[in-house]
Amino acid sequence: MMHRACNRKLYFNSKKMMTRLFFLAIIFVTSLSPVNAQESNIDAKLLLTQVDDNIWSNTKFIQGRLIIDNGRTVRTLSVDNWMEGVERSYSHYTAPARERGTKMLKADKKLWMYTPRADRTILIAGHLLRQSMMGSDLSYEDMSEDKRLSRVYDAKVEKMETLDGVLCAVLLLTSLEEDTNYQTRRLWVDPEKKIILKQYLYAKSGKLLKTVEFKDYFKTSGRLFPREMIYRDLLKENTKTTYSFDEIQFDVEIPPEYFSQSILKR
Amino acid sequence: MIAKLAWIQFLRQGARAWLNVAVTGLTLVTLIFMTSLLNGFQLQASKNLKSTDVGGGHYRLPDFDILSPTEWEDQTFSPPPFLKNLSDTEKAEVLVLQGQLFPNRRLYPVQLRGIDLKQKLLDLPLEPLSRQENGNEYIPVIIGTRMSERSRLQKGDSAVLRWRDRLGVIDARDAKVIEVADFLNPRVDEGVVWLSLDRLRIMTRREGEVSWVTVTHNLGSDKHLEFLEPATLMSDILNLLKQDRRNAKVLWAILLFLAGTSVYNSQILNVFKRQKEIGAMMAFGMESRTIIGLYTLEGTISGFGAIFFAFIFGVPFYYWFQSVGLDISHLSASTMPVRERIFLDFHFSEMLWITLIMLSVVIFSAWRPVQKIARLEPTVALRGKGL
Repeated sequence: MMHRACNRKLYFNSKKMMTRLFFLAIIFVTSLSPVNAQESNIDAKLLLTQVDDNIWSNTKFIQGRLIIDNGRTVRTLSVDNWMEGVERSYSHYTAPARERGTKMLKADKKLWMYTPRADRTILIAGHLLRQSMMGSDLSYEDMSEDKRLSRVYDAKVEKMETLDGVLCAVLLLTSLEEDTNYQTRRLWVDPEKKIILKQYLYAKSGKLLKTVEFKDYFKTSGRLFPREMIYRDLLKENTKTTYSFDEIQFDVEIPPEYFSQSILKR
Repeated sequence: MIAKLAWIQFLRQGARAWLNVAVTGLTLVTLIFMTSLLNGFQLQASKNLKSTDVGGGHYRLPDFDILSPTEWEDQTFSPPPFLKNLSDTEKAEVLVLQGQLFPNRRLYPVQLRGIDLKQKLLDLPLEPLSRQENGNEYIPVIIGTRMSERSRLQKGDSAVLRWRDRLGVIDARDAKVIEVADFLNPRVDEGVVWLSLDRLRIMTRREGEVSWVTVTHNLGSDKHLEFLEPATLMSDILNLLKQDRRNAKVLWAILLFLAGTSVYNSQILNVFKRQKEIGAMMAFGMESRTIIGLYTLEGTISGFGAIFFAFIFGVPFYYWFQSVGLDISHLSASTMPVRERIFLDFHFSEMLWITLIMLSVVIFSAWRPVQKIARLEPTVALRGKGL
């Protein structure tokens, strides 16, 4: 009698277990298959081009602030930035007082910097462009670089991943050119809005060097643009640089003298 | 006769004369000591610089400047055959590039120095690198004691090393300190991370390239390269020592002034106290010129006596000093390429010059006060009221 009752109990338990497993499998398959389907449906190269199309324009004007946090102190620099293509950019620092009037002109792979306190223009040649800009987590190169990622990198979708509640395609970018600073990047892209939410920058060896977070996208001139980009140099401790965009205009007409050395005067 | 008379009169001065000799002799010993000590300092600094960095000179590109790190990357070259074919004892190939070390996640800009580990020209304690040349797990590096202190990295510690290759591509890997070496020369220690030349070339895609080739001597000119003599490469230290020598001249002048004053003072006293004697000499028909000569010679004897004193006292003193040296370990934290003890380095020509200069000062100091004798009237002098 006792034995029969035990067997019945076991029978019911195993049946219950099987039912549970069946439902779990259904949940697992239903939750994964759309993602997998979505992952296989995404054309990484096309998505990257669409991302570029959203964010990239021939000319750009940005009014923003660079908030440099070196772990001990926080400095805020206000800067107006005019960019044309990949090669030319002009920045004018408007605050704080000690940086006010500082101007930077990048043209022909050279950077000129004008400091009003010394009333002098200094040429920051080739390799100096790679140094940290004003103690931030960005190099002069990072700051003035505006390459179309789709032209420089080959992309493939690694996986789909949810980031801050948004289902993102994780794109692995491998450089097509031998001389690209970062040979590998990893992007978290919202395939719906064609925007980057996060970016990882890697060394040639594969070591993760920097992260960039793109925050609070807003609509401007029919495009989506982040209000903030937060750079973190992961080799340093507790540092971050926030590039906060207050105003942005695409395809603006920039007077030619903005990219001439004559602009570098008081 | 004059010389004999001068010698007798010198002896009659007694303690005053011997004090003059002692003061002037000690001055001479001190002057030679100071000069030879600076020579010794320079000798050791040059020797250390040559054995660890400078060698017998460098072949570099004309625009290479060690003080412009941002341009190092553009100033590398492949050694021409006349340098390439030199043996390991005749050359040391060095590649210098910029890097960034992150000990405990703090940024530390460094100079990446790759050196051919087979070279035997420079005396650098880098042997442990050759034992780990083939490992790929991490980059084996050696740093100096000063660098270790500043970066707080010890043997066995790891830190991320970031650099750029020839095309500007950023790369980073873990570097492990396999040895903290005691470099005598701060130039090859502070801010310098040593690694194998082959490894640095692979890391930066600079196959066969160097920043300079250290050689034993000038091997002739090359149309693309410039040969820098050791004196040019050590010019900062040599200029510093030159400045030190200039500063030492102030002390020189003070010591010579003191020696001269002691002789001058004795001579004034001699002339004043011995007026009657001078008057008698004049009365017996001795010309004032001869008397001046006699008194000058008397004063000059203390100069020669000083040379003798310096020899008797100086030789054992220098001999003893050479056995103990001067402890300058307090300078080990400075940028001077010297450590522990320095010894005197005597140059015969310098010693001769010092002696002649001192003798000239003594002769002048002996001659100048006795000029008054020429104005003395014998009758007045005999009464002791001439001066």
